[in-house]
Amino acid sequence: MLRVPLNQMLAIVILSLVVGLITNILRSDSIPILAKKISIVEDLNDVSGEPVSITLDQAKNLFDKGVVFVDARDDQYFKEGHIPNAWNSGFFMELMFKLDSAQTKIGPVVLYCSDDECGSSEELANDLFNEGFTKLYVFKGGWLEWSKAGYPVE
Amino acid sequence: MKNNFKNILVMICRICLGLMFIYASLDKIAHPEEFAKQIGYYKALPFGLENVLAIVLPWTELIVGICLIAGLLVDGATLLSIIMMLVFILAISQAMLRGIDITCGCFKVSADSDKLGLDTIIRDIIFLVMSYIVLNRQERKFEFLPKSD
Repeated sequence: MLRVPLNQMLAIVILSLVVGLITNILRSDSIPILAKKISIVEDLNDVSGEPVSITLDQAKNLFDKGVVFVDARDDQYFKEGHIPNAWNSGFFMELMFKLDSAQTKIGPVVLYCSDDECGSSEELANDLFNEGFTKLYVFKGGWLEWSKAGYPVE
Repeated sequence: MKNNFKNILVMICRICLGLMFIYASLDKIAHPEEFAKQIGYYKALPFGLENVLAIVLPWTELIVGICLIAGLLVDGATLLSIIMMLVFILAISQAMLRGIDITCGCFKVSADSDKLGLDTIIRDIIFLVMSYIVLNRQERKFEFLPKSD
């Protein structure tokens, strides 16, 4: 016969809630209770910290300036079609060294994946930020918005 | 003899699950911000709730792990283990069905963590079965709170 130990379960949950919240208050790298969403930047030059989100027009603007685009989707989708000259994200370390040697860590990089619902461009941007890259633009509309707008693809 | 085998199996499951939960919790406790972002990539929680989960869940995993190994509140820890595995399987499945291509964040929150895939779901199903074996045990051996039979 299966046991349903609600009181024991509740004790463990309450204990972890209390310990988690107290530790979060005491530690130097504490985080807010609710997460902030990644913000859309207005001035593309005003970026020197955490990754920011950009619109389709801003992405096109950076594309026209020749900024490096990185496709954070799976290989298979990249092969089917991507933004011209975009780099395939591939292995993280490889990408990081490639970016660093091509334009150092302060060079601008646009990251995109399928659409607003995919998380990989944001994940890659945060990973690059943790490695010291400082001009990271996340194009949230991604491949779907770009190709729908009729912008160049390859 | 049969009961002995069952008791040993339950003990092995308890220790494996316990060690797994403790190991899974450590990197998340050390890096709450990265873990919160990792939860956010699943695109499954509204209102920025990923931060609350990132603050509390690693401690739940750690406490559940300790309870399972130390023989404390084993029933409650096991039921929580079952609930966590069901939630993880659901979260991974919905992300895969929506084509979200991210790393799992199951054991490590760094960039070299495992990618989401069928193997992550199968691994969680194995942990789910192990948790069920512990919850469905007939005898309480090496349990101290509440006391063994």
